[in-house]
Amino acid sequence: MTFRTRLLLVFTVAVVAAVGIVELLVVGNTRQTFERMEAQRVDVLTRQFRKEFERRGREIVRTVNAIAGSEAAVQLAANPDPARWYEEAGQLAATRGLDLLEFVAGDGAIVSSAEWPTRYGYKEDWLVPGPASATGGDWKLPGAFLRREELPTGMTLALVGVGVATAGDRTAYIVGGQQLDRDFLSTLVLPEGMRVLLYRNLDPPQLIDAKGPAAGADALKPLVDQVRASRRDASRTVGAGADAETFHALALAGSDEDVLGVLLIGSSRRALAELESSLLWNGIAVAAAGILVGIAVSWWASSRITRPVHRLAESAGKVAAGDWNASVEISTGDEIGQLARAFNRMTGELVAQRERLVQAERVAAWRELARRLAHELKNPLFPLQITVENMQRARERYPEQFDEVFREGSATLLAELAQLKQIVGRFSDFAKMPAPEMQSVDLNGLVRDTLKFFEPQLAQAGVRAEVQLGSGQPLPYGRGSLGDAQTSRDREGAVPALEVQADQEQLSRALRNLVLNAIDAMPQGGTLTMRTRGLNGGARLEVSDTGQGLTPEECARLFTPYYTTKTHGTGLGLAIVQSVVSDHGGRISVESEKGRGSTFRIELGTHAEATNGTSTVGR
Amino acid sequence: LLLVAWSAWGETRPKYGGTLRVEARQAIESPDPPALGRGMPDLAGPFNITLWESGRRAVFEANDGAPGGRPFLDRVEITMGRALREQSLDLELARADIVELGPADLRRQVAGRKVWSSAPVRVLALVFSAKVEDARVREALALAVDRAAIHTVLLQRQGEVSGALLPEWLSGFAFTFPAATDLPHARTLAVGARPLMLGVEDAALRPIADRIALNARDAGLSVAFGASFDVRLVELRVISLDPARALIAMAAALGLPEPARADTPQALYAAEHALLEGFRVIPLIHLPDVYGAGPRVHGAPGISPLGEWRFENLWLEGGRP
Repeated sequence: MTFRTRLLLVFTVAVVAAVGIVELLVVGNTRQTFERMEAQRVDVLTRQFRKEFERRGREIVRTVNAIAGSEAAVQLAANPDPARWYEEAGQLAATRGLDLLEFVAGDGAIVSSAEWPTRYGYKEDWLVPGPASATGGDWKLPGAFLRREELPTGMTLALVGVGVATAGDRTAYIVGGQQLDRDFLSTLVLPEGMRVLLYRNLDPPQLIDAKGPAAGADALKPLVDQVRASRRDASRTVGAGADAETFHALALAGSDEDVLGVLLIGSSRRALAELESSLLWNGIAVAAAGILVGIAVSWWASSRITRPVHRLAESAGKVAAGDWNASVEISTGDEIGQLARAFNRMTGELVAQRERLVQAERVAAWRELARRLAHELKNPLFPLQITVENMQRARERYPEQFDEVFREGSATLLAELAQLKQIVGRFSDFAKMPAPEMQSVDLNGLVRDTLKFFEPQLAQAGVRAEVQLGSGQPLPYGRGSLGDAQTSRDREGAVPALEVQADQEQLSRALRNLVLNAIDAMPQGGTLTMRTRGLNGGARLEVSDTGQGLTPEECARLFTPYYTTKTHGTGLGLAIVQSVVSDHGGRISVESEKGRGSTFRIELGTHAEATNGTSTVGR
Repeated sequence: LLLVAWSAWGETRPKYGGTLRVEARQAIESPDPPALGRGMPDLAGPFNITLWESGRRAVFEANDGAPGGRPFLDRVEITMGRALREQSLDLELARADIVELGPADLRRQVAGRKVWSSAPVRVLALVFSAKVEDARVREALALAVDRAAIHTVLLQRQGEVSGALLPEWLSGFAFTFPAATDLPHARTLAVGARPLMLGVEDAALRPIADRIALNARDAGLSVAFGASFDVRLVELRVISLDPARALIAMAAALGLPEPARADTPQALYAAEHALLEGFRVIPLIHLPDVYGAGPRVHGAPGISPLGEWRFENLWLEGGRP
């Protein structure tokens, strides 16, 4: 993850978290405010209902008492004949604004009924003193109360009052009331978003509003049941989302404390839901805007921060690529500037150290060269000195033998001088290394010629040679027309040509060095395998031995001039090979495993990757 | 004294002339005036019909050549289809001279109003349709109805409670048919009964039907009102002073099998008993025809014991001397 992405992510998370926290706080406060306002509105509506309830109750009681105190009521008490009073209750109820009005004789028999005229003669036992009476028959103190009343059309819930008329020792009851129905609910002034329902605990239960029967009884049943069971007010939210509605239920008890009705004040949560939705979308919009701003800011900030870092990284890349003079422009004094200064200081020190190292290596190389030269030259010089001293001593002490000593000494001097010349020639060859003169060379033929050249040494060292030319199979070398060697031409009748563009002399020298190296690696004998293979636009040559192999450390230093793992030699052989291959635009690598031999692989005229092995060194 | 006596005699002396305004609840919808039945057909003879508006109005003019002599009244105008309440108001406001009175009107005391009541010539009865096959249910309803409460309050003690079709004054044995309420027995009979639909052919009978439904509920019967009725509350009329003929006519009106011609009281009783057996018909109350006459109507009662109109003997105050 880039620094810019990380910065953007952090900024986005910060913006979203901040907006989210603000959103939560705003929504929480809004909800609290809404619920506080709702509670106030419910309280107002509750007080309005109770006030209307009490007002109606007082009015009913006053009306009923007025009827009970009239002369007609006295006559009723004196003569409770239904035939006489049959229609009176209905007429009086109409003029007095009562839904219910019954004249009841002292024994509880209905004399006249407004709500159910033909029910005369039936008993209202709850009025007269006795076990069924709610007040023990004393109706002077109680005010209006809720009561279930039966009508021809069914049960209803009514607010009723009872008046008592007396004539001598005779009593009559006047029961008047008003239904608690939709007309009653329609008198309540409802704020917007609120409604009032009335659950009437009848058989069957009814749920009504100001317009008539209301839907949703099932949803409200748990709340109603809770109120009926506890006989206390309760609240509950019904529905979800914008359709949610909070209902506050008021228990309406009758004279016997039974909950006969439940007033349900519903407050729609649609406004709150819409407000919350609006806040949510606003929050999302703010967050989105914040994220966009964050992207811009993080882009700008990261650019300011990462530009010098990028420059630093580019300079580090240059240094890694070998450009030790790379430096970073310092434009700020902050941490990045300090880092750039440190980088520049580091590259400066690295350049200085490299120069010192190169100088030291150069000195060391000269010392190594001097040591090698001294070592190489000292060996032939010592016989020269001995031979000259012998010759001087023989002339002084044994003149008669001087000629013979001179002859032998001259031969020795010439031999040692030839050795010296050879040593000097090798150094000269390594120093010269002229540019290759490219021409078409048959690599397979070159391999064959090289092996033919080393036939005596191979035989002397007990080394068996194998060649795999082109895509040919491995063949034993050392039998057939080439002494013991056999090539694929011998078997197939023609040596497949593998033409490469090379300097034949330099390439031949390189092959000879590799073969010599392999022979030296197998002092106890072994197998030398030379493989060639055509590649796309080039060729591959492998020289393998079954000698003791090399360690990875030895592989790493193998092509260093004057480095050798042998007790004799100049350490220039493989360096020459690498130089030749490099001058041909090829590459050389070595695979070796200790105890299992080594394979040198040369690829010419191709950009194919060198084969990785157990230990590979290549350039 | 002579002057006072002359004046008093002059006020009570019948006068000719004037138009008698009569209102009736029934609206007779027919192209021609009815020739049979009660009411307008009774005027034939003393009066001649001069105007007939079906279902609305009829006008009768005095027949100068009537066998019993010319009626005192010049004209009788009959307005049909007036509800009882409207008739009562019209009588009180002197917009009508003779009206039919319902039980509610009888409760009110109206100054100057004369009330003419016939013998009980109508019978209120419950009639079951063939759908109600269970006689136990029919009997349960018969035992549940509190006839006395209906008679006392709703009918203001008009007529008489009865369990018979023929009134007591006509047959002499109506009292032998049971009319008492027996709720405990009714409840046992009503066990498992399906709800009954009660039909009422006259809106004026609705309070009585309501009370019957209330009584039925006490017995465990569920009774509701509807057009597709199982039982209906009907009003029958005694059309003959011959009890046998009256019974046959009632059976025909109720759609019951025609009873055998009864020449003896025993046979008549058996015939009526046979009609009522099985409780297909439940007689409830026998009712009289009741009319109210305004203060300017004078003369003998304008109806006969059978409720027939006898307007030829009536005269109006303010008519020609």
